[in-house]
Amino acid sequence: MDGYEFYVDPSRCIGCQSCVNACAECETHRGQSMINFDFIDRPGTTATAAYVCWHCEEPTCAMVCPADAIKKGDDGIVHSSLKPRCIGCSNCVLACPFGIPKIFPEYEQMMKCDMCYDRTSVGKKPMCATVCPSQALSYVRSDEIAKRREKPTNVFQFGNQRIVTNVYMMVPAQTDALSLDVLDYLWEESYVPFSQPQ
Amino acid sequence: MAKAPASTESLLDSFGPHPAYVPPGGWQDESRNPAERLVKTHCCFCGQQCGIQLKVRGNQVIGFEPWEEFPFNHGMLCPKGVKRYMQGGHPDRLLDPLMRTTQGFRKASWDESLNFTVKRLKETQEKYGKDSVAIYGGASLISEKSYLLGKFARVALGTRHIDYNGRLCMVSAGTAYKLAFGVDRSPLPWSDILKAQVVLVAGANVAECAPITTDYLWRCRDAGGKLIIVDPRMTPICRNADMYLPVRPGTDMALYMGLLHVILRDGLERCDFISKYTTGFDQVSESVRAWDPRTAGEKTGVPPEAIERAAQLFAKADRAIVLHARGVEHQSKGVENCLALINLCLATGNLGREGAGCAMITGQGNGQGGREHGQKCDQLPGQRSISDPEARAHTAKVWGITSEEIPQAGYTAVEIMEAIHRGEIKALLSCCFNPLVSLPDSKFTQEALEKLEFFGVVDFFMSETAHHADVILAGSLQEEEEGIGCTNEGRVIHIQKAVDPPGNAKGDSWIYVELAKRLGKGKYFPYNSTKEIYEELREASRGGHADYFGITYEKIDKNMGIFWPCPTLDHPGTPRLFEDGRSFHPDGKHHFVVTEWRESGDPVSEEFPIYLTTGRVVSQYLSGTQTRRIGALVDQYPNPRLEIHPRLAEQYQIKDGDWVAITSRRNEITLQAMVVKTIRPDTVFIPYHWAGERSANKLTHRTLDPRSKIPEFKVSACQLRKADVPPDWAIVANGHESKGGDKSNGRLRILR
Amino acid sequence: MSLFRNPSEEPLWKDEFSVFTSDERYVTRRQFTKFLTLASLGMFVGNLWILLKSRFAKTPAFPTIEVAELNEIPVRGVKLFNYPTSQDHCIMIRTSEEEYVAYSQKCTHLSCAVYYSAKNDRLECPCHQGFFSVKDGSVLQGPPPRPLPQITLEREGTKLVAIAVKGT
Repeated sequence: MDGYEFYVDPSRCIGCQSCVNACAECETHRGQSMINFDFIDRPGTTATAAYVCWHCEEPTCAMVCPADAIKKGDDGIVHSSLKPRCIGCSNCVLACPFGIPKIFPEYEQMMKCDMCYDRTSVGKKPMCATVCPSQALSYVRSDEIAKRREKPTNVFQFGNQRIVTNVYMMVPAQTDALSLDVLDYLWEESYVPFSQPQ
Repeated sequence: MAKAPASTESLLDSFGPHPAYVPPGGWQDESRNPAERLVKTHCCFCGQQCGIQLKVRGNQVIGFEPWEEFPFNHGMLCPKGVKRYMQGGHPDRLLDPLMRTTQGFRKASWDESLNFTVKRLKETQEKYGKDSVAIYGGASLISEKSYLLGKFARVALGTRHIDYNGRLCMVSAGTAYKLAFGVDRSPLPWSDILKAQVVLVAGANVAECAPITTDYLWRCRDAGGKLIIVDPRMTPICRNADMYLPVRPGTDMALYMGLLHVILRDGLERCDFISKYTTGFDQVSESVRAWDPRTAGEKTGVPPEAIERAAQLFAKADRAIVLHARGVEHQSKGVENCLALINLCLATGNLGREGAGCAMITGQGNGQGGREHGQKCDQLPGQRSISDPEARAHTAKVWGITSEEIPQAGYTAVEIMEAIHRGEIKALLSCCFNPLVSLPDSKFTQEALEKLEFFGVVDFFMSETAHHADVILAGSLQEEEEGIGCTNEGRVIHIQKAVDPPGNAKGDSWIYVELAKRLGKGKYFPYNSTKEIYEELREASRGGHADYFGITYEKIDKNMGIFWPCPTLDHPGTPRLFEDGRSFHPDGKHHFVVTEWRESGDPVSEEFPIYLTTGRVVSQYLSGTQTRRIGALVDQYPNPRLEIHPRLAEQYQIKDGDWVAITSRRNEITLQAMVVKTIRPDTVFIPYHWAGERSANKLTHRTLDPRSKIPEFKVSACQLRKADVPPDWAIVANGHESKGGDKSNGRLRILR
Repeated sequence: MSLFRNPSEEPLWKDEFSVFTSDERYVTRRQFTKFLTLASLGMFVGNLWILLKSRFAKTPAFPTIEVAELNEIPVRGVKLFNYPTSQDHCIMIRTSEEEYVAYSQKCTHLSCAVYYSAKNDRLECPCHQGFFSVKDGSVLQGPPPRPLPQITLEREGTKLVAIAVKGT
């Protein structure tokens, strides 16, 4: 939908799993939920996080697929694997830096979030963002998001690999890109981040 | 005799709960046979009453679609709302009336079952007197049905004993608000939360029991608001709290008196508001003199510095809101806890303005509407008192009887069960209530039910209580009858009828009208539809506090709900109460009410040294009769777990997943432990949605708040013992391997 | 649909197996079937045209070229000439007083030049021992598959002229 973007804010998640249950309703994946939901550390905290596919600009899962089964459309949505092509090899499961694709051995198929394409392609909002009671998952215009204290970013740095996504993550206001390599937080001058491999 | 006619196992096997995993027609049904229409209605579960659209094809509900235009929830839903449609077409659904046999139940015709019910009720009343029959109602019923039940009890049966399961929910808050303000309703619409500067959430597990309110709290924080949370457990909203006060179970009153003490000591009260709009301040001010932070801290287990800081934060804000729920209300001091919170708001002038006030979070679907129109033992329609002569005269006129014929106040829900136990009440007709699971001390409840000479149940699934019934009349789901309800905000909403009851099941209202007819009182119940009942309800509530006269179905549809009171048809409704500074009391003032400390009804001792508190999980609703039949919700949290702090667990060498026997002064159950740091080390927690050997209410006690008669679910005493072997039920339960993962302890195990 | 790949630093496999749907060059079954049908039709029409062309084609016009004078060569004598173009070598033999025959000199086997053997009174190809009859150019022996094309001669006054080629 025009002007609308998908924002993920794990700090708002309350662990109700409304997204998990609503996603499972879609008959495209018949009762299997495509939401990646985790209790971060239940013995220590009630913190939870729910993630959808990040729909990367250059989707790693699609790049490594040997059967060319994952396609990304012009609208930025990375689709789930094409049924006639997927061979269930799990390459994408291992390759995705965010750990989104799931293998279903009983179908020999990878399935993942496709931003409710059956809904977004006809102007409806994705189901998970519509039902989320805390709006940890939200699909709104940028002026709605501007009201929050956090700010959205869609740049992730995994060591040397820079990944730009279509789904935004809410981060503290002073953060530009989300760095997921501990080396980026070290106080060591010998390591230069963002450098290309030789 | 109301002993269950067959073993519990065989009844559970025949009638469920059997979890349903697949929508009616299968997963691909939607594209092959698309829905014919979308019905805009509301969720059948909690008091948030989220707007939702039901997909209907033929006479079956096959799915749901969010309703984004409804202003309360904007399309948001919790998992129970998402999966609720699976109740329609459920294999456990009762499609015919059932009558007891020596081996179980058999199907019966409506004539046979209704006539039998009427015969037994009449016989009981002839033999033992009019008050030997009691009626149980429920707060999930639309207001028309709760009104109908109140009238049925008093006019058709002439008994004074009618009460409902909301007695276990809202009565503490209701009594407190009536004492303070003269009216029982949330004084503010939920949109006010967005404008508050400080929100104090007391005893409310918002994330799991009222999930949509979470979005209001987060947006309040986005605008700079501060969140203070009071709870013995760290619930999911505590992650974003500015202050978290881990209050000891049963000591809330001391905490709030301590806060008020600090406010008065530092001169932070709003003297102009107090003198202009309130009475009784001096006595309350005197009563909190002894509760300095140190004393309050020793009683509650909250550090005195935190009490100081919370009080400063709350009082210095221009606009502050208090939200409270069962945590403070399910206590033998439930009314006083609410009054202490109200006193805080009155002292700081937080009432009747945008972004300021005190509100209860109603738990049950029509908990608000269900406590307005006569379903309570001491109440008449319009939130009138049954002892008020004017109220009796008005109601009698609407009902077409004399005011002498209206009985006086009767027993409350737990008291009715106690009366059954001692033989005073001999017959019970229950609708929308599962007391075997939801009343405290379930062994007592079972003994009482077995003593009943006649027990009739109107329900759509066979609940555990219904195992004891003589006749079960197959009733209707929420989507099968049209009517109105009232949400937690005081917003009156329209529940649309989506489908007809399946099989031979009938609408609940039809059942009670038929019973009334067969009791010979048909002329007082000339209703062919719930809409006709509503027309009478409007008239009956006219002039009372809960004035519905100006509300019609069409008006609700056009305005997305109307807040009561709405005295005339052109009145727009009253979202915020007390804007003119006047309470509903005759003197127009808000009353400060003194709260006095006393211990809980089941205090900890050397033998029972640990506090036991009970509560809920997000995937289950109340006694679980509906949600334990939905597979995805069962998989989310399959069995009750004992939440216990590691420090307490290591005293008993309990590790996460170990079986623990929990014993209270009444009984013992064995559950798996969930060792988490998010609970006080002197407290354990058990969710109560399960029945039989998994029921937390086997352990709870029947001490009631003296004014509201609410049981003290939140404070019991227990002892722990590591169990050597799993209980019998665990072996049976594991036989039904769930398809999903047991995520409740944080380690996702896929069970295949 | 682009037929040519723009030069880029990306490896070839990324273009060949692009993950972006906008780069896809799918052919639908319908398109393929259309293509097959049109191609078949085209081929059919082409064949039809060729058939019609050969049916209604005019017989080719041959030039008239003077070969020799009337008594220029003796009986059993030979004269080489070129007919119809300078590349086509031919051989004329005076078989008797009044009779002259002429054939293309290209052996129909592998195009070696045939010569007249007066001793054996036949045309012989030295390459593979192919012998042709002087009377009609038919194959007497050897690998040649077809008879030698015959040149039609005519007397114009005192001259002998070649006017056509038979049995190309």
